[in-house]
Amino acid sequence: MNLYAHLSELPAAEATAFRALVTRLRALPQHEPSPLLTSRILAAVADERAHPTLDVQPETRNQKPETQKPRLWYWAAAGLAACLLAVLTLFDRPADPTAADPTVWLAASQEADGSWQPAHHGGDPAYRPALTALAALALARDPADRFSADVRRACDALAALQTPDGAFGGTGRVRAYNHALATYALAALAPQDGPAAAALERAVAYSRANQSVEGGWDYEPGSEGNAAMTSWQVQALAAAAAKGIGQANIPLRKGLVWLRGAARDDGGVAYHRGSPSRSEGLAALTAHTLMTSGQAFEGLPALGRRLTVNLTAKDDAADCYRDYAKVMAFESAGDTARAETVRDGMQLRRQAGAQDPWEPIGGTLYTCAFTALARK
Amino acid sequence: MNSAPLEQLDDADLMLRVRSQDDEAAFTLLVSRHQKSLLNFFIRSGVQYDSEDLVQQTFLRLYRYRQRYVASAKFTTFLFLLARQVWIDELRRRQRRQRLAESLAAEPYEEFAAPAAPSAGVAGDLDLARALAALSEGLRQVIELAVYQDLPYAEVAEILEIPVGTVKSRMFNALAKLRELLVEKRGDTP
Repeated sequence: MNLYAHLSELPAAEATAFRALVTRLRALPQHEPSPLLTSRILAAVADERAHPTLDVQPETRNQKPETQKPRLWYWAAAGLAACLLAVLTLFDRPADPTAADPTVWLAASQEADGSWQPAHHGGDPAYRPALTALAALALARDPADRFSADVRRACDALAALQTPDGAFGGTGRVRAYNHALATYALAALAPQDGPAAAALERAVAYSRANQSVEGGWDYEPGSEGNAAMTSWQVQALAAAAAKGIGQANIPLRKGLVWLRGAARDDGGVAYHRGSPSRSEGLAALTAHTLMTSGQAFEGLPALGRRLTVNLTAKDDAADCYRDYAKVMAFESAGDTARAETVRDGMQLRRQAGAQDPWEPIGGTLYTCAFTALARK
Repeated sequence: MNSAPLEQLDDADLMLRVRSQDDEAAFTLLVSRHQKSLLNFFIRSGVQYDSEDLVQQTFLRLYRYRQRYVASAKFTTFLFLLARQVWIDELRRRQRRQRLAESLAAEPYEEFAAPAAPSAGVAGDLDLARALAALSEGLRQVIELAVYQDLPYAEVAEILEIPVGTVKSRMFNALAKLRELLVEKRGDTP
């Protein structure tokens, strides 16, 4: 039996009314998937293929699997990709921006208004604030301090991109990543006064207002939080607190408590707390955050170091974001040898032309910024 | 194994290729065929921000549980079984958060988001969309599967794990409730 057979069993008047209602229901507008959804799904499945998370035994029938706490670091990664992603697709350009000195290429790619426009490098324009933040953070790491003027322009550009509510545009994941990364960049790089400093105050207020009751941050208001977004927010708030912004202190403490709860006894970190899955990239990001942003809190740096114990330094597949997190985690733990191993692997994969899973989304800005951020 | 071009294969054949050969092209085709219907399934279920995440989770589960698939039922039945489980997990997460939110509601510095407002999408029949969103979960899922996915009642029953007779009664109640809500909205006398 189907719907219309069912309706035909009803009294004529009722059947007619219900058929009309069904027609109206079917005429409701359909939402279109974003252009990036297919690539996100396929990237997540490629990751699953490379790192299976569940040992699913073959069954002889179409059995539904038990509901689970989904292993969602894909979302973290996909989200990061999405957010970070707005950054890079310059492979058709003559020079390889990551070959020698990615910061030079980044500086040359800065727009006249001080931002970086992902759409000009194969990325998604929605992530302009996030990628501007990443590029600025990368330039600020230059040991010779060659780009201080560019960094200041980037901070002013971020202030100009801020919306009146303290966020940096977009909805859902886009909004979350734009805000987390832009706040982090402003907290780390903005001068003590001027429009960028005022923007930072507003951004911290937004962070505080959008923290979950559990202490984390996620894409959806009211969600418990995910390890990736919470790590970035905690790093941003720690930098803001170090700058003397008092309103950052309470959400910072709560965020660190959330991250502490995300670290499992087996050293694993999943995208969502309670999930049995594990992600090396998330474990590294969490470890780095606990060791740096949580250094003033008893037990957190030690917990962060423990999370690095089981991390591998050698990976086969390209993944700039994961590699960046590992380099930072190993460096924070004082394990310079393993940090160097990760850097070597990054370089070799770039030279071999390995495709980063997020390159199709993030473009060249993403790869270039993370390559620069992971340098010594 | 069917040797026709992939585009000409039905969903069940594609899924069998995914199961037996880990065929990426076949999986990609399944994603392209069904992502929109899944997206709208989650949006109509009330997911405001993370609907694409839930679509991604569903396809991940499809891949993860590919060995459990046999072509004894429609592919869409299997897919929406997975989608429903993703939705159940999401509801549990939300309920857990809600309980915690209630227990911490006295904390002065917390702010809580208002429930998502139903949306008809682009220029749609807002009254009907709101009425649909006002249905209980059980009634809305029957509408979703039988009206939007056009599944036979037997498959709806399998996905929702209820008897076919219950599908019929829920469908009747859902349509009656929608009509009632729409009449109330107009201010008419029923």
